Amino acid sequence: MKAGALLYLDLIMVILMLVLAIGALHARSLRHAVILFIVFGLVVALAWARLRAPDIALAEAAIGSGLAGALLLAALRDRRPGDDATRRAPVWQSVAVGGLVTALVVLLAWAFLEVQGGRANEPLANIVQATLHESGVSNPVTAVLLNFRAYDTLLELTVLLAALLGVMSLGPQRSPMRAAEPMAAGLIGWLIPLLILAGGYLLWVGAHAPGGAFQAGALLAAAAVLAHLGGRREFQLPGHTRLRLLAVAGCAVFTLVGVSTLLGSGVLLQLPSDWAGGLILLIELFATASIATALFLVYLGGHPPSWNSREVHPDA
Amino acid sequence: MTEMLILAVVVLGATFALALLGMLRQGTPTDRILIAQLLGSNGVGLLLLLALLQEQLALLDVALVLAILSVVVVIAFTRRGKEQADA
Repeated sequence: MKAGALLYLDLIMVILMLVLAIGALHARSLRHAVILFIVFGLVVALAWARLRAPDIALAEAAIGSGLAGALLLAALRDRRPGDDATRRAPVWQSVAVGGLVTALVVLLAWAFLEVQGGRANEPLANIVQATLHESGVSNPVTAVLLNFRAYDTLLELTVLLAALLGVMSLGPQRSPMRAAEPMAAGLIGWLIPLLILAGGYLLWVGAHAPGGAFQAGALLAAAAVLAHLGGRREFQLPGHTRLRLLAVAGCAVFTLVGVSTLLGSGVLLQLPSDWAGGLILLIELFATASIATALFLVYLGGHPPSWNSREVHPDA
Repeated sequence: MTEMLILAVVVLGATFALALLGMLRQGTPTDRILIAQLLGSNGVGLLLLLALLQEQLALLDVALVLAILSVVVVIAFTRRGKEQADA
């Protein structure tokens, strides 16, 4: 009874995902496409929950559905009349993109089968469980992300930093919003502390349950996005030096820890198991600050006045 | 108890699909964002039920994040920029 009934839910989810994906691609206007995409993120989060992967469900809910939705809606506001007209790509472009995507799918399928076939060796999950006590945390996902495969996470933070620098070079940020009406302002005033609190909670809980720097950073960035949307002047970005320090803090602290372990034990990012818990929290703390900064600055769509010292003080 | 929870899951799943059909039919952007909000609340309910059924309390946190962020999306949708303020 239980499995059978939940199977119906899975079936509905699968159909909805396909309908939403096709709908978002073929929507008549960009606005409809964005709304369908937001709902698509919601259904994907539910699908991950059904697949018993709460870590990915959390990331999808925080970044895929929530923050990406706000980001796309902001991008929508930038469009000029006529942008909605659908331009058809040349045939060679469609063929090239289709070919690349097909190649990627084949590669992923091959990698998946290879890992499945490699079960003669020990499954990775067992190895993680067996060595979990050395990682300093009790959540296997955090252990993998910040200890066993910390190098990958360091590179992810670097990619995020590179993306941020790309957006910062595009030009000045989107114009600030006017102050919100009383109803919206009241709601925003309630939500900002809640988001900050939830972000801190996710950062802390990441050590033993799903959570962590990316989700916490997304919630903090959402708090900043709300302050921007509400035209709250009392929330200001820090000055250019501190803003840049915030943006690179995650990468910098992570690299510093890596170099110290290289000097101490001779292996890059080999966290000593006595200190691992504290070091992971340290890395995650700074990574959260950098991720939140990066996501919010990307939301602004260009560099804020405080990014460039010369623009703040034209005479200096 | 479990039967009741499963019944609730199926009903919520069905309303989810029905609301989505409403969204795919003709409607103003405001209708659609309201339906998106309804779906968000629906999703929170489904996650809470799944947390109990699958005995995964971490899904409660997912529901929390979803509940807070869906409000952010609706605020992002309703706010207008300075230059569009009088439009």
